[in-house]
Amino acid sequence: MSRRIIHLALFPEDALDQAAEALETLRGMGITDRDMTVISGTPFSEKMLGRPMAWTRISIIGIAGALMGFLTALFFNFGTPLLYPIRVGGMAYQTLPTSFVVFFELTMLGLLISTFLGVFVEMISPSFGPQGYDPRITDGHIGVLFWAPPELDPRLHEALTGLGAEIIHGAEAKKLWLF
Amino acid sequence: MAVETQPVSPALNQPAREEEEALREQLMFDPRPREELNRMVMESMYSTSPRYWVAVGVLTALVLVCLVGMWGYMIFTGIGIAGIRKPIYWGVFIVTFVFWIGISHAGTFVSAILRVFKAEFRRPFTRAAELMTTFGLAAGALYPLIHLGRVWVFYWMIPYPNARWLWPNFRSPLVWDFLAITTYLLSSTIYLYLPLLPDLAMARDRTQGWRHAVYKALALGWRGTEAEWFRLRKAINIFAFAIIPVMFSVHTIVSWDFAVGQVGGWNSTIFGPYFIIGAILSGVSAVITILVILRATLKHMDYFIRPEHLDALGKLVLVFSMAWAYFFFNDYLVSWYGGYEVTRRILTLHATGPTAWVWYCMLFFNVVIPWLTLWSRKIRRTPWAMFIITVLINVGMYFERYTIIPMTLGHQRFPFDWGEYSPRLPEISIAFGTLCLFILLYLLASRLIPLVPVWEVREGQEAHKVVKVGKTVVPSVSELE
Repeated sequence: MSRRIIHLALFPEDALDQAAEALETLRGMGITDRDMTVISGTPFSEKMLGRPMAWTRISIIGIAGALMGFLTALFFNFGTPLLYPIRVGGMAYQTLPTSFVVFFELTMLGLLISTFLGVFVEMISPSFGPQGYDPRITDGHIGVLFWAPPELDPRLHEALTGLGAEIIHGAEAKKLWLF
Repeated sequence: MAVETQPVSPALNQPAREEEEALREQLMFDPRPREELNRMVMESMYSTSPRYWVAVGVLTALVLVCLVGMWGYMIFTGIGIAGIRKPIYWGVFIVTFVFWIGISHAGTFVSAILRVFKAEFRRPFTRAAELMTTFGLAAGALYPLIHLGRVWVFYWMIPYPNARWLWPNFRSPLVWDFLAITTYLLSSTIYLYLPLLPDLAMARDRTQGWRHAVYKALALGWRGTEAEWFRLRKAINIFAFAIIPVMFSVHTIVSWDFAVGQVGGWNSTIFGPYFIIGAILSGVSAVITILVILRATLKHMDYFIRPEHLDALGKLVLVFSMAWAYFFFNDYLVSWYGGYEVTRRILTLHATGPTAWVWYCMLFFNVVIPWLTLWSRKIRRTPWAMFIITVLINVGMYFERYTIIPMTLGHQRFPFDWGEYSPRLPEISIAFGTLCLFILLYLLASRLIPLVPVWEVREGQEAHKVVKVGKTVVPSVSELE
């Protein structure tokens, strides 16, 4: 198989329809959805662009964090009085109503922190799609980023420029991460 | 009814054209290219006048003298220099603590609740409100430490087995406070940060030097891919739904600091919701105050923050003022009708005692002023009027906490143990110092963080269209998510 090159088709801000059509055109040329990515400065849903639904583990990570928080609260509420007993006359040694507060706070803390960690980990994890970027994206341009073999170049040019795109070849992502 | 939905054409009749012109007064119907929006927000961050630096200098000096210096002096000499003494051990420190925690509710309310209910007017000022939450909590979180007196033993609050084998008592409301405030501070800071990612990337692409390095690190390599947007939306949704009950829990727990005690005037089952409503009233008012200041002082902010936003928030303040009055009256009437001697004496004292002016000011600022003014659309849309009204409401809310805490503690069950409370200079100075700290943090943040969530504004503008219905035009919002 010939070497694939990253291309970035950059559409103006108001050309969402053309960007969606470009994706369709690329599919028609045999480029799979896995080899394409849309980058934009404003969120567009997958349905608008006719793209497969994205997938994330954030919800699962969040639930796992909530569970961790709950278990920590369980330890604080019922474990520590056993480990370090403080007996106060007339007061229940272990009590449910007051424990609910600790359960609630720590469960929510676990959920929210782990949700953030999920975002963080997924952001810095390696991405297997085509890498590429252009600063004009944050100015509202819509970028269709894709891998394509060189032999498709003339056809790609014709089709995408016909839709109003500016083609950038080998649009390697600038170093966007600190490290 | 036949509804024709189509883009407005130049062939509209005169009234419809006027209607369309009127809609252009709304931010969502006055779109500008994303590039221009970015430029405006970046310019508002960069444009600093000498007055700004003078303000930063003065506030820094005030924070150092009034907060750091006075707190240091109090640590050195002992908490006896404050006005708190038998029988009133909770004074201005706790009043100000409750006040700041209350202020911090606005960020969550304005951002999370309005996001969940898809209230479109929220878009340009969610970040300004979220910043208020973070800085309000930062100011408020100092007070448990200040109030401790012996601040160097603050670590006794942290659960670990110490030399005496004692753990914090997790059944104590003070430990609940610690947990709730920690949870709220962390989650609201993250909730501020997450929607900031695309705007940090925007700032990264438009800056150089140290700013570029900072934004680059903070933007976490954001490119705006579909997966990144999907992830961000998911996380924001989880946060928006989860942070609401956390917000409710925080002020409920603060109210339980009082309500679970066997203190006349405090032992009330309605304190939780009463405190929450008061917090939201205070917080939303503070958001308006800040928006008016931002609009007047930051470049281009008059494009993003418009009278329509003050109008919408003004309505919320009016509703919460009514709700606050309802809870206040409910608490008052039931306590008074109950005939419990201690409570009746306290209620009488609030209205006739030497500090009764505080109680009357509270009612005047929290009820009379909003009810007399905020019914008027014209007033709600007038920035300077809204500034004055909302500042007064917050003064009223501060007085409410003052009434509940020191004014109530001074006249409990035993007449031989009655007393009056007068705050002393260290307390007033420290309270003023935290106000300066809050303003200083906000001033600094306004030059480092894009205060307007540009992507949310642009998304909203793309979702809003003017459609022709019969002989007129009406606004229409599409569901883009």
